[in-house]
Amino acid sequence: MVVISKNPVHSVMYLILTFFCIAGHYLLLNAQFLAIVHLIVYAGAIMVLFLFVIMLLNLNQDSVPKGSYLLPFAGALSGGTLLLVLVSALKRSDTLIQQSAADASLGMLKTLGKVLYTDYVLPFEIASVLFLIAMVGSVILSKKDPLKEPETV
Amino acid sequence: MNVLLTLSIAATLALFFGVLRLKNLATPVIVIGLLASLVFNAMEWNNTTSIFNDMMLYNNFTVAFASVGLFITLILVLFYSELSAKHEFHLPEILAIMLFGTVGGIVLLSFRNMVMLFLGIEILSLSYYVLAGIRKQNVYSNEASLKYFLMGAFSSGFLLMGIALIYGVTASLNLNEIAGYVNNAKGIVPPYFLVGVLLILSALLFKVAAAPFHFWTPDVYDGAPTLITALMSSVGKLYSFGAFVLLFNSCFIPLIADWEVILWIAALLSMSVGNITALYQKSVKRMLAYSSIAHAGYMLLALVGINNLTSGSVLFYALAYALASVVSFVVLYIVRDKKGSYDIASFNGLAQKNRMLAVVFTISMLSLTGIPLTAGFFGKFYIFNSALQSGYYWLTAFAVINSFIGAYYYLKPVVAMFASKSDEEITMPALSNSLLILLGILIILIGALPGFISGVI
Repeated sequence: MVVISKNPVHSVMYLILTFFCIAGHYLLLNAQFLAIVHLIVYAGAIMVLFLFVIMLLNLNQDSVPKGSYLLPFAGALSGGTLLLVLVSALKRSDTLIQQSAADASLGMLKTLGKVLYTDYVLPFEIASVLFLIAMVGSVILSKKDPLKEPETV
Repeated sequence: MNVLLTLSIAATLALFFGVLRLKNLATPVIVIGLLASLVFNAMEWNNTTSIFNDMMLYNNFTVAFASVGLFITLILVLFYSELSAKHEFHLPEILAIMLFGTVGGIVLLSFRNMVMLFLGIEILSLSYYVLAGIRKQNVYSNEASLKYFLMGAFSSGFLLMGIALIYGVTASLNLNEIAGYVNNAKGIVPPYFLVGVLLILSALLFKVAAAPFHFWTPDVYDGAPTLITALMSSVGKLYSFGAFVLLFNSCFIPLIADWEVILWIAALLSMSVGNITALYQKSVKRMLAYSSIAHAGYMLLALVGINNLTSGSVLFYALAYALASVVSFVVLYIVRDKKGSYDIASFNGLAQKNRMLAVVFTISMLSLTGIPLTAGFFGKFYIFNSALQSGYYWLTAFAVINSFIGAYYYLKPVVAMFASKSDEEITMPALSNSLLILLGILIILIGALPGFISGVI
């Protein structure tokens, strides 16, 4: 439904539904924290952003540019090839499902926090540099400059 | 670790100075930060340290690559703050983002964990997305930034998918454990492990701008501000290739039969596409962008038959290419600033008006071509040597033919400089002038005494 809806706003609504389904899968896999975060981040934040962008762009039937027919064909071909490779690779792997002792604490908030702040504390801290770049970058790129730039190189 | 801390602190300080309207203090802080991290980096020599639960490993490989990266970044920061400051409202922020990008680069040179690989690539790319779009009034710069961002985000998705598949097989993100798994498996791994390797390979090929993942390169390199293009093509390539060598040298060697075919096809394509398309370019900037694809192809040659010569030859080539590309882009910037166009015709008569500029540019072009007595010659020499050791005779022969094709278009602006006449004066700020001379001397020096660098790792 996300793909075939004519109205982009409807598409976004269906996408939210899909995210709820994925969150349900996470719950079934005993990953409560992941499920909640998935809902908050994707259905909550990112989808609202999507909606805003779609409403700002004000897309309708006439304003959508007609692209070449070759493009969706090429996209479908390359996407289909990747799908084929993945499916055949997974099909030929008989050792795919390895039973491991089910641990009740797996995927719980407490375990996750412990790993994040002990073993993975360095990536956690380095990620702050990433966010700092993103913040500074978005501010300087969207800020209005006081005067017009000279002809630039 | 000290290096990362120094860089981050210097960059954050520069950001504060930017906010407090103390813009004059930002450049000195950045330069001091880079110098200090060069010193800290050198102190780690022969002092292999594992950082934070085996997240990073700072060894001689890292020190050698990082010193080249830091040195080139330092040179470019000096150029940028002298030449480009008059165009700039956000100089402290731009320099700070360059430094943050270097943090990502150093993570890429020392990661021992797939999470760190992903973070390093993201930090490096994100800083380049921002820097490419820094000329807000220029549509080409906007296009470059947006195009790079969309395609880069897509390729990061590939990288992440690959990492997830490999994690699915080995149940570990640590490179040592993945390598242990691959060695135990003796070449028989589940097919979706190979798909994971393939996806990581395509993401990394995208980052080093190799064909067939090169479509973003000409537009991004052309649209980005010239000095930023110099940064992307020199250190950006260095870091990405460092990560490439580190990952494939440590983890996937037993599976070489599965991925080397893809690599040599990519090397072949990059060399031919880059060189042949560059022949038809009128704009020198676009020509250099295509030539950078070709250079990625030459560097892939060393990776195809991966052996103990690989990291040394990639380092040497990356250094030689970085020096020459910085010089050529800076001269191009100056010429464009005066003449208003990137065309080869803007180089007409440069030799009469500013002999130093013309000589340095000629040296860099000769080095890019690979003429003896320049750094580029020995860069190619070591790369070809490494490929020959692994028995890739015909691929090396093809690369040599490609170097001859390269000579034609590299010499076009040189001929324009010396053959035609012009009467416009070109003057240079003092610091940039001496830096250019220094870089020119370095190219010759490394070309005359290659033993300095080649024996390092």
